[in-house]
Amino acid sequence: MNLSPELVKGLTIGLGAIGPAVGLGLIGAAAVNSVGRNPEAQSKIFTMALIMAGLVDAVMVFVLLIVFTTK
Amino acid sequence: MNYLTHFAADSSVPLASENVFSVFGFSVTNSMLLGVIIGLIITGVFVVSARRLKIRPGSRFIYFIEITTVFILDTIKTNFDGDEKKARKFLPLFLAFFLSILFNNLFGLLPGMGGTIFLHSGTDQIPLLRPFTTDLNGTLALALIAMSTVWFFAVKERGAIPHIKHYFSILKPWWNPMNFFLGPLELLTELIRLTTLALRLFGVIYAGEVLLRVITILSGNFAWAGTVPIIFMEIFFSAIQAYLFLMLSSVYLAMATTPIHDDSPDSSHSPSDQKMTQVEAVN
Repeated sequence: MNLSPELVKGLTIGLGAIGPAVGLGLIGAAAVNSVGRNPEAQSKIFTMALIMAGLVDAVMVFVLLIVFTTK
Repeated sequence: MNYLTHFAADSSVPLASENVFSVFGFSVTNSMLLGVIIGLIITGVFVVSARRLKIRPGSRFIYFIEITTVFILDTIKTNFDGDEKKARKFLPLFLAFFLSILFNNLFGLLPGMGGTIFLHSGTDQIPLLRPFTTDLNGTLALALIAMSTVWFFAVKERGAIPHIKHYFSILKPWWNPMNFFLGPLELLTELIRLTTLALRLFGVIYAGEVLLRVITILSGNFAWAGTVPIIFMEIFFSAIQAYLFLMLSSVYLAMATTPIHDDSPDSSHSPSDQKMTQVEAVN
């Protein structure tokens, strides 16, 4: 069966963006929960949450690379 | 015949950067050109401000440079568990990483980069300048410098053979085949760190460039209003990725230069190891 490039691109970005989106939501939920428990540590928690978000965002980028390099 | 023309094109951002001119058979690409220019600017600024060093900073510009340096020193110090001498030893390298990545990313958002100033050579037109971090060669070079510093200082601190044995003896009896299998896995982890350092930075900044181009084409006549939120998002992501590169490389370096304690049974987790398992669990 011959897949068209647009179909491949669409499927890749559609299925591949589920993982990082769920991951970022989990990071956000954990960050907000821990600020709720301990409001004084807000800046430290915010910094660590941003670092984790940067790490998980990179997975999204790997998916995006496939989308941009498929002809 | 090469000549400069100014108009906006509607071709997409190419994945590989194109050659601008060649010097003795070694071709120079447009991303290398911008990387060298920004490197010279940063070096010049720091050399000039180091010459005018006084106890109280003379002008507000030098004060600003001092604030940046102290900020990075504090960031590195929390990764080295408060060891100031070691943090100062590695400060120039991390300062160079952070400022080079940040300014290369931010200069890609200025007018004229990668889209409007062209060089005509023959029949096709190639952009004259392009951010250094949108080229996979550039980020691979940065990641190689970071990881080879980590490996060099790990070998220098512990010696070559104990360093390799350290990978095989994460869990205590190293002749146990289940624990022995962790050895090649840990070595693979080092290579994966190098790859993800390079690919993460390249992917985020390159995807930002393509997104900017797509939004410009889609907006048509209203591109001046449609790209403003995208540019804000790009500024935010540039700063985040520069900070992330700095944190990750300093955590790897701190982990590699702690001396191994392997005499008592409950000392196999140093504080930086705990921090590392937290970071690696998400990666």
